[in-house]
Amino acid sequence: MRRGQLHVPADLFDSAACALAVTSEDGTLVQTNARFSEWLGFSAAEQCGKRFQDLLTMGGRIFHQTHLAPMLRMHGSVTEVKLDMLHRDGHKITVLLNGNKREQADATVYDLALFGTTDRDKYERELLNARNLAEALLQEKTATELALQQAQAELREAYAIAQRRALFAEQMVAIVSHDLKNPLTAIRMASDFLSRSERTAKERQLLGHIGQSSERAQRMIADLLDFTQARVGQGISIKALPLDLHGVIHRTVDELRVAFPKATLEHHAEGHGDACLDADRVQQIIGNLVANSVAYGDLQRPIRITSRLGVGGCEVAVHNHGAAIPEALLAGLFEPMTRGTDQGSDVRSVGLGLYIVRELAKVHGGDVAVSSCATGGTTFTVTFQNT
Amino acid sequence: MDLRQRNNVNIMGTGASTLVFSHGFGCNQAMWNYLAPHFLERFRVVLYDLVGAGLSDLSAYDKDKYSTLDGYARDLNQIIDAHAAGPVILVGHSVSAMIGTLADRQAPGRIAAHVMIGPSPRYIDEDGYIGGFKRSDIEDLLDTLDSNYLGWSSAMAPVIMGAPDQPALGEELTKSFCRTEPDIAKQFARVTFMSDNRQDVIGLATPVLILQSTDDLIAPVAVGEYLHSVLPNSTYHLVDNVGHCPHMSAPQACAAAMDSFLAPWAAARAS
Repeated sequence: MRRGQLHVPADLFDSAACALAVTSEDGTLVQTNARFSEWLGFSAAEQCGKRFQDLLTMGGRIFHQTHLAPMLRMHGSVTEVKLDMLHRDGHKITVLLNGNKREQADATVYDLALFGTTDRDKYERELLNARNLAEALLQEKTATELALQQAQAELREAYAIAQRRALFAEQMVAIVSHDLKNPLTAIRMASDFLSRSERTAKERQLLGHIGQSSERAQRMIADLLDFTQARVGQGISIKALPLDLHGVIHRTVDELRVAFPKATLEHHAEGHGDACLDADRVQQIIGNLVANSVAYGDLQRPIRITSRLGVGGCEVAVHNHGAAIPEALLAGLFEPMTRGTDQGSDVRSVGLGLYIVRELAKVHGGDVAVSSCATGGTTFTVTFQNT
Repeated sequence: MDLRQRNNVNIMGTGASTLVFSHGFGCNQAMWNYLAPHFLERFRVVLYDLVGAGLSDLSAYDKDKYSTLDGYARDLNQIIDAHAAGPVILVGHSVSAMIGTLADRQAPGRIAAHVMIGPSPRYIDEDGYIGGFKRSDIEDLLDTLDSNYLGWSSAMAPVIMGAPDQPALGEELTKSFCRTEPDIAKQFARVTFMSDNRQDVIGLATPVLILQSTDDLIAPVAVGEYLHSVLPNSTYHLVDNVGHCPHMSAPQACAAAMDSFLAPWAAARAS
């Protein structure tokens, strides 16, 4: 039997499990099956003269004109095109369309097969939505990453600027300190030289003042250098070596007696053991703590310096009698630029001493503690752990 | 950037004047297969794909550049400068009629005449102007585009089931006919259907042939008549045709109307 629309048994055409339509080249419906009418709600008579594209939504009609019709003409077929058709009552029916061009003796016709795809359409829309969401999230993530990169770049720049400033401050303090050392050394050498000749008591006293003051100025400069290094620079560096702690403290106390002739300094050595510390820095710790006791303690009574060696570690302590440190000051005592009381303004430096003591203790892996009461006096204890 | 590659430029035919064919939204230069061969003996013929369409270089697709039709118009002028010889007649389908208008405005005098097939300067109805569409219709189209990649995502597999007679132009072009990268398709749809080029066409003095289909959903008769009324040097020709592509479905009628319009520029037919 010859194939052709007129020769397909009518019941098979009508009862097919999909909607079928034959249109002329311009889309006019020539023949449709019962399923087609059933799905779209139009009777065969109502469909008469209608064009296939007239049954689409507006978006579908534009798509038909710009894609579907040119493709059918060019390729002779289209497959799996998803379209929304309009039911007679206005609601949308989503269909998949396959179409084929067929040349007849007198005209060209298009065979169209439509498959309902409502559920699959929902699924595909969910996929599309998920994809769009994923794309939006990706875009958001990209934007966030960009902002983060920008923030990081700004941070890096700010850090670089801060580092340059810190370096500059450090260098400036180093230069100033260095430049101050020379005139101070000259003053000390000159006063030493003068002391060697015969002097009156008054002259000796004045020369003593000159010597002590220049030593104090040197300590202040050393503190300033350390402070700058600890606070804005690379940190204080130490060279820890095994040492005889009692001996080092003994010599230090001897030297401090010269620096603080008005004070009575006592050294107590307790226990035996090893210590591995930076000797110069230990001297600096004791020097700062004793200077502190001289400034704030009762100079009528001795200042006691204790060096203590033990199995777990070692410690040095400086004790003085006198008024207790006010409670309010204790918490911030080791912060820089902290002064005990106004009384010390003429005998103390800018308040870096205790801060540097703590920093020095820390770089040795230790710490500093203070206890203070009116009856027992004030004790600073620096503890070093053996490692 | 090699223009030929960027826009998949194809040059054929011989003549003292050049016909540049510019396709519309949706497809590629293969849509000229039914009409262009008619002119090969009398004209130099230049065919090309808009960037983003057909076999153009997709890496040249710049979202910003092609966010308005001006980007396409700049491309067209570059192609004319590089590949046209003698007087240039632009044959533009649909949105390309407006791309040609913008190219003419950018470089006045370079285009000698326009053949506009199914042109529309404004698709959306507005203040007494009837373009034929509402904004929601365009959203609906974008939705339909979203549902139909036409084989794009399946790695360019040909969708041809039957094997109808393939016209002469590259097989690849017909295979990939109407197949566009989804994001590009959507942006081009927006740019095409949201644009308003009425101020660009009004008063354009270049000779224009308007080929208007009798029944065209995309560019209704009222729009063709509007264009005829605002283009002072225009010839209005109604083609008995249903649909937006008379150059595909009624090529003889189009060719006949063009022959008479193009007579001043046509070389004598080789005998």
